[in-house]
Amino acid sequence: MIIALESAVRLAVWLLLAPLLPGVINKVKAWVAGRRGPPVLQLYFDLARLWRKSVVMSTLASPGFVAGPAIAWVALAGAAMLMPLGPAGGAISFKGDVLLLVYLLALARFCTAWAALETGSAFGGMGAAREVSFAVLSEVALITAVLALSVQTGNITLSEMLSLSVGSGAMLLAAGLFGVLLAENCRVPFDDPNTHLELTMVHEAMVLDHSGPPFAVILHGASIKLLLFAVLLSQVVLPVGKLSPLAGTATLAGAVLAVTVCVGLVESLTARMAFRRVPLILTASFLLCLFALLLALKGGA
Amino acid sequence: MTAGPLILVAAGGTLAGVLSGRFSPRIWLASTVAGVSAALAASVWVLAGGAVWDWHSAFRVGGEPLHLRLDAISSLFMALLSVVGGAGAVYSLEYWPDSAHPRSARGGRAWWSVLVMSVGGVLLSCNGLHFLIAWELLTISSYFLITRDRQRSEVRAAGWLYLGASHAGTLSLFAYFTALAVSTGGWELGPIHGHPELAPLFWLALLGFGVKAGLFPLHIWLPSAHANAPSHVSAIMSGVTIKVGIYGLVRFTGWMPVPQGAGWVVAVLGVSSAVLGVAFALAQHDLKRLLAYHSVENIGIILIGLGFALVAAEHGNAAWGLLALAGGLMHVWNHGLFKSLLFLGAGSVLHATGTREMSRLGGLWRAMPWTAGLFALGAAAISGLPPLNGFVSEWLVFLGLFDAVNVPGNVSLASVPALVLLGMTGALALACFAKVCGVVFLGRARSAAAGHAHESGRLMLGPMIALASCCVAVGLAPAVFFLAVSRAAAEWNPAWATVGGPLSIATIGYANLSVVVVGAVAVSYLWRRAGGTGLRRGLTWDCGYAAPTARMQYTGGSFAGIINEWFAWIIRPTRHENMPEGPFPVRAGFDEHSPETVLEHVVEPVGRMVIKASSLARRLQHGRLQAYLLYIVAGLAGLAALVLLGGGR
Repeated sequence: MIIALESAVRLAVWLLLAPLLPGVINKVKAWVAGRRGPPVLQLYFDLARLWRKSVVMSTLASPGFVAGPAIAWVALAGAAMLMPLGPAGGAISFKGDVLLLVYLLALARFCTAWAALETGSAFGGMGAAREVSFAVLSEVALITAVLALSVQTGNITLSEMLSLSVGSGAMLLAAGLFGVLLAENCRVPFDDPNTHLELTMVHEAMVLDHSGPPFAVILHGASIKLLLFAVLLSQVVLPVGKLSPLAGTATLAGAVLAVTVCVGLVESLTARMAFRRVPLILTASFLLCLFALLLALKGGA
Repeated sequence: MTAGPLILVAAGGTLAGVLSGRFSPRIWLASTVAGVSAALAASVWVLAGGAVWDWHSAFRVGGEPLHLRLDAISSLFMALLSVVGGAGAVYSLEYWPDSAHPRSARGGRAWWSVLVMSVGGVLLSCNGLHFLIAWELLTISSYFLITRDRQRSEVRAAGWLYLGASHAGTLSLFAYFTALAVSTGGWELGPIHGHPELAPLFWLALLGFGVKAGLFPLHIWLPSAHANAPSHVSAIMSGVTIKVGIYGLVRFTGWMPVPQGAGWVVAVLGVSSAVLGVAFALAQHDLKRLLAYHSVENIGIILIGLGFALVAAEHGNAAWGLLALAGGLMHVWNHGLFKSLLFLGAGSVLHATGTREMSRLGGLWRAMPWTAGLFALGAAAISGLPPLNGFVSEWLVFLGLFDAVNVPGNVSLASVPALVLLGMTGALALACFAKVCGVVFLGRARSAAAGHAHESGRLMLGPMIALASCCVAVGLAPAVFFLAVSRAAAEWNPAWATVGGPLSIATIGYANLSVVVVGAVAVSYLWRRAGGTGLRRGLTWDCGYAAPTARMQYTGGSFAGIINEWFAWIIRPTRHENMPEGPFPVRAGFDEHSPETVLEHVVEPVGRMVIKASSLARRLQHGRLQAYLLYIVAGLAGLAALVLLGGGR
């Protein structure tokens, strides 16, 4: 009973807080540009509006057009449930749960790409192709980061791996994972969520033809993914799990906010990279994670 | 009770299949299904912990007494053979019927039974001579199955290449078993202890079994053979017969001494097969050829598991060795299941549209919803996505490798690249199957043939549904299947029998189950919600083009373009560009072809050199007697010179 209640509260926290992050990013961008910008809660309003709207579906689309976003959302929410939250730990924790998390993210990617290809639109194809291709490099970087954490702690359970995180390579790892965060969540410099030129988009090109509740689910899923990566990044740098519940929660919240502000700053201060250079930056992220791994291996020996 | 009576029924049923295949499809199907069901029951019995069936007979074949044995390792492969053998047999009745192929369907049925029987023979024989006989029968029956449609020249070429490559491998196995027989004094096979001088023979086995398994540089025969065979044959070849190569490697690394460092070689071959297999797959335009390259990839994943198990055995690390081996062996099952499913799905597409070219397909989900759904399930499984079976075995291999990294020493450093590249393989496979599903089943038909497609009948869908259910079952109850696989691992290395498995495998099952349940609830809820808010259909937006033509869709080639560029150094695609010129371009075109690099850039040049050298040597023999006399005189003079100058001893 307690476990069910605890899981429900945890899920509610993830689902309710996630849409806050894009709002914060937009506020930071507006602040840097000297504008007032949309309210921080804008995504909540958008989601509520989309949920009430009717759906226009392409004449070519199969039921997978709706099923894809739904399964992707479930996979992302499931991945979020595996992620430990500071002192509270994860909802379930077992040996190798980190791999389940990585593969749930892959499941979400597969479903989003599937839904994008449903309409036969060339933009959907472009977006999906870019998403799955860049994901190859970011997944490699992510696995390397997981390996570095695993070597540091001698463990492959997420809650254990993240408890002892201040190693010599923590900053390298944080820099590498920040790159992965930006790429996986389609932020500048990899993708511009605000662009109006479909030819240059990744994530937005995939969801061009979505509308109504399925689109709301896609947007909400994307915000869960952003929160997931921000939480992961924060816990890689800070040993939140070791603090007292109150201090740990406060530190984690502060760190997630700091990561979000950083994303907003990057977005305000840099331009989107040309597509040809995207693999180069992702490779750089991978190399940062690899150096962290080598440091961990060296330290272990 | 032992598995003996069941094996007898299985042998009887398959033999009846061989005899009845030419005359009656019904009797053939009944006896084949009865035979494979009995074989499945026997293997389940052994895998569930029943007694190993070991049968010595006084009956002699080729002068050697018959010795058959069904233990956990052979049962593992036997179970896969039974499932795929049965499913493919049912499928073939509709896919390759007498009415459409009056000449080749009859022989195809008989050869199918011969293939099933010879694989069974390879799995059961404990005698080197009988093993080789069954092996050769397997090669020949596969050849006749591949070349069912031998009016087409590319089918004949594929069959010829298969036959040549397979016999190169068989030659190496002849050397292996003969050397073994010479040093042990008999053809009898079994665990050999205390003969470290036999270890170098492992390299012969690796070559021979590696050709059959299709690991990376030895895979040259595989893409064309799998692409040109009838689809049910591609399914059993990719699902089962290439696994027989893995069986040979597992069997003989378990029984025989292995040289130092063999594990590393196997692991390196595995990693290169995995990454390059999927890279080549991405560059393909032919649906079945693409699937064939994925077999190379998955054989690589299996070999990574086996290679690290060998390393673990060498270093005495039972715990992670068991994980790696169990992952590899479970991937044998899983790949057998989902790859057969995918080939049968590709067969349905080919049956309905008459083409394997992905750029002529598209939008098939409307006409073939079942095929599309089942193919999508197979695609998710082969990409290693939860909640399906591919994830479970890749997870086990990953877990073994992660534990290996945490062991201090050189093993740790060396397993890092394997892990990173295994992760990369998963992401590449996902990219590839997103491409296949999107281009073949989604969007709009790219040709008239694809527009007039029709769904397959019950005999073709039934086996696909059965295979898909197996994929789901392994995903949802991995602990049960892990138990069976760890019995095989204990048979491979008896010292590992007492090592406990990871308890979290059951948790993976629950996690997969909850993904299925919550996913189903979410899909139905969102579907109802989307319908409830007033669902309208409209044209795809596509930047405002009101009447998009099918050719505006993204093609498979452009989808894979980004990744292909990363691997252009080995894929070496040839491009023909005809760029549009002037303000009103008349014609423009672009086409790209990805050759089989190892075959066209390595094997063929070497072959041409050998032929050139031989034809030069042939000039010596021309039938002119005077010249022959001259050779003799020159030879004698040479010998005389040798005797006189060499001291004349």
